[in-house]
Amino acid sequence: MTAIAWDETPEVTDRRHRAPLSRLVLAEVRWIFRRPRTLVVLALLAIFPPIIGISIVLAGPGEASGEAPLFVAAATSALSIPLGSFMMLMSLFLPLAVAMAGADAIAGEQSVGALRGWLVAPVSRGRLLAVKVFGVLAVALVAAGLVALTGLTTGLILNGMDGIITLSGTTLGFADGLGRIGLAVAWVTLQLLAVGAVALAISTTTEHPMLVVALVLGGLIVSQVLSVFDSLSWLHPFLLPEGWVAAMPQLMRDPVSLDLLGEGALRAACYVVIGLSLAYARIVTRDG
Amino acid sequence: MQPRTKGLVAALTGTALGVGGLVMLTVPAGADDAPVLPEISAQELVRTALQADPPAFAGKVVMQQNLGLPVPTGGDGSGAASFGLGFESARIFHDGDEGVRIAIQDLSAEFTLVRNADELWTYDSAENTATRLDTDDVEAAREQAGKPGPRRIPSRQPAEMADPAKVAQAIVDRLSETSTITVDGTAMVADRPAYELVLTPKPTERTVLREVKVAVDAETRLPLRFEVMGNGSTEPIFSLGFTEFTVGAQPERLFEFTPPKDAKIVDAQKALKERADMAPSPQEQEAMQRFGSALDVVGDGWDTVLTGKVPQDVPAERAHPDGESDRWDGDAESPQDLLDGYGKRITGAFGAGYVITSNAGSALITDDGRFAVGAVPVQVLEQALAK
Repeated sequence: MTAIAWDETPEVTDRRHRAPLSRLVLAEVRWIFRRPRTLVVLALLAIFPPIIGISIVLAGPGEASGEAPLFVAAATSALSIPLGSFMMLMSLFLPLAVAMAGADAIAGEQSVGALRGWLVAPVSRGRLLAVKVFGVLAVALVAAGLVALTGLTTGLILNGMDGIITLSGTTLGFADGLGRIGLAVAWVTLQLLAVGAVALAISTTTEHPMLVVALVLGGLIVSQVLSVFDSLSWLHPFLLPEGWVAAMPQLMRDPVSLDLLGEGALRAACYVVIGLSLAYARIVTRDG
Repeated sequence: MQPRTKGLVAALTGTALGVGGLVMLTVPAGADDAPVLPEISAQELVRTALQADPPAFAGKVVMQQNLGLPVPTGGDGSGAASFGLGFESARIFHDGDEGVRIAIQDLSAEFTLVRNADELWTYDSAENTATRLDTDDVEAAREQAGKPGPRRIPSRQPAEMADPAKVAQAIVDRLSETSTITVDGTAMVADRPAYELVLTPKPTERTVLREVKVAVDAETRLPLRFEVMGNGSTEPIFSLGFTEFTVGAQPERLFEFTPPKDAKIVDAQKALKERADMAPSPQEQEAMQRFGSALDVVGDGWDTVLTGKVPQDVPAERAHPDGESDRWDGDAESPQDLLDGYGKRITGAFGAGYVITSNAGSALITDDGRFAVGAVPVQVLEQALAK
């Protein structure tokens, strides 16, 4: 008799222990997208491509040339506005969005005391981190998707449905063009997830969200400065932003040139593994 | 497991995996293990290479040069950097027959050349300009207009292919006068086993070059890589070769070209005519002829030196039809400044002048306008001019 009672008790606790992950993730995502700052950043990202499109139209074909070569073809290709927007936004604005999400996820909740609820709730630390990672991933995906959506729409309005032209001078069908934009969104999301993983790792060590954002963006800027110097070329393959600018035009070639994109994806995956393992290590050893 | 141990294990494995992956990215793919291939004589290799028909393939070609031109004194060095680190890559597609597509890649632009049985198109994405030529006109046009052509796949005339064995013999004999030709082992080029055909100057040749290497694909006998090696460096001075090479049928659409809408389409015939209109004036032609007749070749083989006289009376600025000049703008460097920046002043039996040396050779320009160029040390140039 006692043996049976002994068997049942852990089972009951065990069931109570496991809140369904999907419900937790949904709650987290709802929580993130209700924050006004998230919405403001996303809105700014979304209106960026139309602003570029309008300024190109206003500048006229002659003056658009020179500085940003991808936009030279803007008057002729619907792909260059979304991809060119990615090129420009990847240097600061898109990483800012995920760094904010990563900072809010743990350090931010800690600072307002909301994380205590999570830590005493019957949710394992690993699952807590998984929920936070999903939250950051959702921000990255929505941010990249919004830029691509408004960018492609602007491009198609300016150039027409038959205006999906590659750098190689071929004209793509709508499905093919959409596929390339989809690939760009996936690739950018992975890069942003790498930024987010580093942000989460820093986020677990502090209760000041501003510190997380400052460190992540500072690190990005330092990386970008280091990648300018040829004498440090041995270091360049280790820097996450390496190839962020060069990768996007590869999607505008026909056939797509995949080597730079593959290399960038592998680099981002390495950063994700490092960032998340450090975040996990910190969060399981942390006291309530 | 204790949370502390669990965390430590996670941190260590994760970091090790991630850093390992990043290190893997820095290691160039295809570490060089020389493949084992059946022995072959140099002459046989040249013969089979001449006979080879390129199969359908896709590849990527990278050009690197390390000429090592001196940094101009007084400049900010950016000019020298762009000289020393010139880098270009291109993708090549070939259908095994007449179709060729070459895409020369810039950071965010592309120059594309498409050739098939009937026509040749070029497309410049930075200018959004397409140019069309009939394939029949291509040969003539390339001569006149200096357009880049599909050099990697030369169109071979049946006559010159009459007897490849004889041609190979002739080539090898000719080169043997001044060089030693050997098949010096094997190499992996673009992940393919290849023979290294090496041309080494004979000891009597006074040159700054150590050897010229051509890697010939073992299977298709296509040249995969061309390298020029200098003395005292393991890095090639110049290399042009495939970094990716895949044999296989290529999609048909790559060898057809329809200019995109809104692209500016240039009629090649008209372009040729415009070039003809810009032909040099009679005085200029005369000056050019005098310049040509003053040219002289001293020596042969590797220590060939080209000497001549800089035409003094050619007008420095050539007027364009619209009245603009394309020579030095007000703040650009004059030739004298360039010489001061790049050259070193020397005097000798030949007189006095400036010498410019690079990894691939040197050039000497005297104050009275004579010059000598060659892949040789400066002393050889001085002797050539003193003659």
